[in-house]
Amino acid sequence: MASVTQPGARTGGFRISKRVLPYVLSLPALLVCIGILIPFFTAVIYSFQRYRLSQPWARQFNWGENYLNFFTDPGFWNTLRISLVYAGVTVGLELLLGLGIALLLQRRTTVNNFISIMLLLPLMTAPALAALMWKLMTNPGFGILSYFASLVGLENFRWASSPDTALLTVVLVDIWVYTPFIMILLLAGLRSLPTQPFEAAALDGVPRTFVFFRITLPMLTPYILTATLFRLLDSIQQFDIIYAMTQGGPGDTLTVFQVEAYLNFFQSTNVGRSAALLIILWAITYILSNVFIKNWLRLRERARGEA
Amino acid sequence: MTTLQLKNIVKRYKSQTVLDDLSLEVADGERLVLFGPSGSGKTVLLRLIAGVIDPDEGRVLIGGEDMTAVDAEHRGVGMAFQNFALFPHMSASDNIASALTSRKSSKEAIAGGVQKVAKLLKIDHVLSHHPKALSNGQKQRTALARALVGSPPLLLLDDPLRNVDAKLRFEMRLELPRLLAAQGATVIYVTQDYKEAMALGDRIAVMAEGRIRQIGTPAEIYNSPADIEIARLFGDPTINLLDVVPQRGPDGAFVELSGVRVRLPGFGAEIVGKECVLGLRPETIAFTEASTLGAVPVTVEAETPLNEKTVTLALTARGREILVSRPAGTPGPTAGPAHIAVNGRAAFLFDRASGQRIRPSEVTSKRNGEAA
Amino acid sequence: METMSPLERILRGIALTLVVIFFMFPIVWIFLMSFQTNETILRIPPSVIFTPTLDNYAALITGKLTTAAGTLDIAFMRNLGNSVFLSVASVALALVLGVPAAYAFARHKFRGSEDIAFTLLSFRFAPPLLVLLPLTQYFQWLGLSNTYFGLIWVYQLICLPLILWIVRGYFEDISADVEYAYRIAGHSWFSTFRKIALPLAGPGIAAAGLLAFIFAWNNFVFALVLASADKQPVTVGALAFVTASGIQYGQIAAAIVLSITPTLALALYAQRYLVEGLSLGAVKG
Repeated sequence: MASVTQPGARTGGFRISKRVLPYVLSLPALLVCIGILIPFFTAVIYSFQRYRLSQPWARQFNWGENYLNFFTDPGFWNTLRISLVYAGVTVGLELLLGLGIALLLQRRTTVNNFISIMLLLPLMTAPALAALMWKLMTNPGFGILSYFASLVGLENFRWASSPDTALLTVVLVDIWVYTPFIMILLLAGLRSLPTQPFEAAALDGVPRTFVFFRITLPMLTPYILTATLFRLLDSIQQFDIIYAMTQGGPGDTLTVFQVEAYLNFFQSTNVGRSAALLIILWAITYILSNVFIKNWLRLRERARGEA
Repeated sequence: MTTLQLKNIVKRYKSQTVLDDLSLEVADGERLVLFGPSGSGKTVLLRLIAGVIDPDEGRVLIGGEDMTAVDAEHRGVGMAFQNFALFPHMSASDNIASALTSRKSSKEAIAGGVQKVAKLLKIDHVLSHHPKALSNGQKQRTALARALVGSPPLLLLDDPLRNVDAKLRFEMRLELPRLLAAQGATVIYVTQDYKEAMALGDRIAVMAEGRIRQIGTPAEIYNSPADIEIARLFGDPTINLLDVVPQRGPDGAFVELSGVRVRLPGFGAEIVGKECVLGLRPETIAFTEASTLGAVPVTVEAETPLNEKTVTLALTARGREILVSRPAGTPGPTAGPAHIAVNGRAAFLFDRASGQRIRPSEVTSKRNGEAA
Repeated sequence: METMSPLERILRGIALTLVVIFFMFPIVWIFLMSFQTNETILRIPPSVIFTPTLDNYAALITGKLTTAAGTLDIAFMRNLGNSVFLSVASVALALVLGVPAAYAFARHKFRGSEDIAFTLLSFRFAPPLLVLLPLTQYFQWLGLSNTYFGLIWVYQLICLPLILWIVRGYFEDISADVEYAYRIAGHSWFSTFRKIALPLAGPGIAAAGLLAFIFAWNNFVFALVLASADKQPVTVGALAFVTASGIQYGQIAAAIVLSITPTLALALYAQRYLVEGLSLGAVKG
């Protein structure tokens, strides 16, 4: 602390105190974000209100009623179930696939590097547009995938338009878009592992399954954890793919949290229920994100250390 | 040239106190070396003087003017960093010129200044290169040139020879004093190398754990270390340190080595029976004939050449190791039994518990006082 | 490296081929579709042999869609323009706001800095609709509904955390001594920021900007909730286009191709930085 202030020419003029400077630098960013925090608190208030856009005069606080109603609301349980199933299935499959592909591409060969770059493309496609692409490919009339399905004996396979296969279809799109995410993270992880343990194991003739489960997998765990949590956080909030593909349908087959909240707000104009749904989703993601951030920080620290 | 005063400087990082109530005065034109192990606070102190780190308490005065609240760019000091801290996106010449551009002098004046200092440091042929294309030695000279070019009255050098190879370090150690003298600046020089400290400093401040343990001329530090740690840090080969308990003899205190009494002139009853450490500089010990009075019998174990010295490892009768050094080329035993002469007058005595030096003069004066 | 048996080599080859086919096929197929007329698209069995036509693109670019029922105006080029404008402006604003803040977070560990940084990061993980739905009402009061300004502001939710955290990492990688050296050489903090920090973090800032651009471009839900047809970017516009144009599949495919090309091209251009950016610096590419 500068206990003695020194006036005079050298300290005069345009000069921002060292202690104030960082606040000045980050203030504009903070202001923008505070503007965004206000609606968050508004949403909390809405969730404790009986509030329908169609009946604005009946708007009043009903405290926990929106939440209490969920217990007896099959629609809510459907939303919770389908959200968890969607997140679990997509992330689980993407993890297996992503790990498999990363292992296939582990060696730094020209072909492998080229493939890993090409696999970035689905990830960089807007998920909503990816859903449209798959919609074209699964069109019952001319879709190439419908044609392939008919070749293997699945006539009239209706993909996203049938309640039985709608989940499968959107999961497929999700896998197409997001598997590369897990793949590139794990590939970077694999390639950053120290080589000595593997060389030693190869010299000693240790079986490769043993090497994989006892050396590779444990050393890769922080990367797997980070990638998985990252994806879980995104997947449980999935909106783009499902909305662009089926708008939550057919029926309520795919009304995951954000889709259900969107439909509640704009179609049934039930703002209170919509807000309560989103607060519950936020609570889930808040817990997940705390676990994630801790993990991510540790890994980030390590990556910076290596740099 | 200018003076520097540090008054009761305290710097904490979180709960750790890095600089602990440190005060220091450096005279006009003086070359002060800050010497100490890593983590002793030397680098933080230097940055604090430069003004890029603020002290939590205390004041920094440069040329008698309080600079504590003055930003680094207005303090007018020059600084060279241990890791060079060159700007990687600028050429060597722009790197050096950066210390001049802020003063709004003309382009020609800047170019002239850069040329001059570059010639002085023998890097004028690589001025257009970027740091990436410079050798370590050239980088180091560029960093030095950047610190020197503005002829700052106060020059801060943070271990500038640390990251260059041994040959270059040797050359620069010879060249630097001349260079610094030509600058006429007051210099604070940080190093972990005691030889550098001895070669370059008018005075040396030995730092440990955020405090200055001892400050004095190189000769004072070497010949009269304040504690065991300082005695150990200065000197190559390292000082011999033997655990001893002095005994009372007919003519003052003595210790026993291989059963032979070594008198400690100047020490009296106060140290008798006290747990002490005896410090013997290897060059104060000499091989001698068995017949010499007070010759200590030892067994010679090994001999190693060390630069211009020959160092012999000898064992006392109880197996304690003693290093003896003598100028290379002079005769001496290479193996087997031999005798050494230990000069008690040149020996240091330290309190084993505190590590503090026990000075003979103090003891003597005390005894005189008692007698009076 | 261990050697592979011929069998393993073949199995690996097959696996990789399947992977490449699965991930590349949709892009290739839609690309091919965009050069076909409806007749060739509707052929059963489908075939890759056709006479390519640019009619689909021509229709999109001229904005005149000719169907059996007559001519239909399509605003797809407008959507494309919106996408470009919204993404560029959002990234520009995020850079102006985020880079100084990232510098403050990286260089000055001031009180509350970590909390603020994490609050910003948490935006990245909160459900967007939670903020968007109340925001529709605020925007109505503030007169920001269906304005570019309002949209660009909301887009900061995506761009700002991304830029802040990635650029912060790059600033942290610059040795503090280099900046100290410049200060001691007699330069103010601002000229140190401009002449040392910014150029040295330049590639990182560019990469963060590109990534933020891609994410802004790919965003769907913000514009879906807050923008009407004339302000919508391609992600929302393409969906509306599908509903409006009905069975003009070739044009839909062409619209998709036009919509995804910019981000894919940027991704290929900046692929070196993508890994680090996507993981917010947790994994070095």
